[in-house]
Amino acid sequence: MQDLIKTILRFKVLITFTALCVISLSLISLGEVSKISGFRAIVIASISNIQKFFSWVPNPVALRSENQALRDLNLQLSSEVIKMRAALIENNRLRSMLALKDTSSEKLIPAEVVNKTNVQMRSYVTINKGSRDGIREGMAVRTDAGLVGEVVATTNSYSLVETLNNRHVKVSAKIVRNQIDGILNWEGGNFLVLNNIPTSFEVYPNDMIVTSNYSVKFPHNIPIGRVAKVEKEYGSLFHKIYVEPYANFASLEQVFVIDYIVDEEIVELTKKIEETIKAKNRQRK
Amino acid sequence: MKLVENKYYLKQIQIRYIVYAILALLLMLVELLFIDIIAIESVTPDLLLILCVWITLAEGQFVGLFFAFGIGLIFDVISGDVIGTNALAKLVASYVAGFFHKERNIKSNLNTLRFTLVVLVSAFIHNIIYFFFYLKPAETSFWQFFLQYGVSATLYTMLFSAIAILIKIPAKEIDID
Repeated sequence: MQDLIKTILRFKVLITFTALCVISLSLISLGEVSKISGFRAIVIASISNIQKFFSWVPNPVALRSENQALRDLNLQLSSEVIKMRAALIENNRLRSMLALKDTSSEKLIPAEVVNKTNVQMRSYVTINKGSRDGIREGMAVRTDAGLVGEVVATTNSYSLVETLNNRHVKVSAKIVRNQIDGILNWEGGNFLVLNNIPTSFEVYPNDMIVTSNYSVKFPHNIPIGRVAKVEKEYGSLFHKIYVEPYANFASLEQVFVIDYIVDEEIVELTKKIEETIKAKNRQRK
Repeated sequence: MKLVENKYYLKQIQIRYIVYAILALLLMLVELLFIDIIAIESVTPDLLLILCVWITLAEGQFVGLFFAFGIGLIFDVISGDVIGTNALAKLVASYVAGFFHKERNIKSNLNTLRFTLVVLVSAFIHNIIYFFFYLKPAETSFWQFFLQYGVSATLYTMLFSAIAILIKIPAKEIDID
């Protein structure tokens, strides 16, 4: 017994070290220890409060880098402002020449996404604004980044928005750089696909895609996304263009409903012609 | 007379341990609140590791292990890190530092450049272990990340340990001789 105690005392450092290593590894393997998570939260909150109390202490390194970043940003913004002023003047001049309606003055109704639904490749979001707030079926919905979808149903307080990542949704879209129009749809995955762009037109990655002037659903020039990749299919006359949407459908929280409905006469006319063509086809069969 | 001397000696040890504990808590607060002030390109010195190495060299490997484990564990809890990572890294670093502990050379271990060298070795081992747990292997190459941050953090910690050698420690070795 005494020998055992002597041996333990002789190797006490090694035994302690091994034991503490085992304890540490066990704690690591446990990961988040839920029992102390409350205590941990209190400690971290207290530290945050102390941090807030000491926030007046200047950090020269951080201040220097922040100053540098702000100077860079200032420079960038100044040049952006100059460019935008020039663009605005040019825009006004062209608009007055073409007598186009200023679409940027459309009223935006802010709304919050309260629910998301995915039913067999169909994706919808519910927003907390409805017909009481002036929302009607057919209105376009966007975020500050880009187009999200279209209002398909409304109640007094809520509206259902069909997002672009639905298989049957088709959007008339154009490439901003060369103004070529195509049809945008979703074929699964993270990208939208822009079809009907002839291979005779060059399309490059990062080209901006916006809603087309021919769209009967959406106001024109709403940003949709950027070209992620372009594929040329063997034997096809058209590009297959993958578009990365600007709006992140997975993390939609705040959106804007555009208080704009495309002229119903155009919609009616399009529907009428479509029905006539379908009827003729049926007769032929 | 001997009993009185022993009591005095035990009291001295108790006071030292309390001082270490208070220092550890203060350094934890510094690490959490003010470390950004001395950070260079997000590389920060590990002040707690310096304290662990100091305690190990001053009090021995056995005591150092307990302090390193305790300090690491408390820091894991209050910093929101994965519990056990700092504890394990500091434990192994102190274990290694313990091999440099010499009862008769405590003063020369702590008050000379030898201390910074021990910190360098310990910090290197500490950072290898810490970054091993910190990194998700799929995201970044371990060695690339370690060379980028681990080595610079090791050198920065060593640089800071040079401040510690300026502190005059109580001449503990007179009791041993």
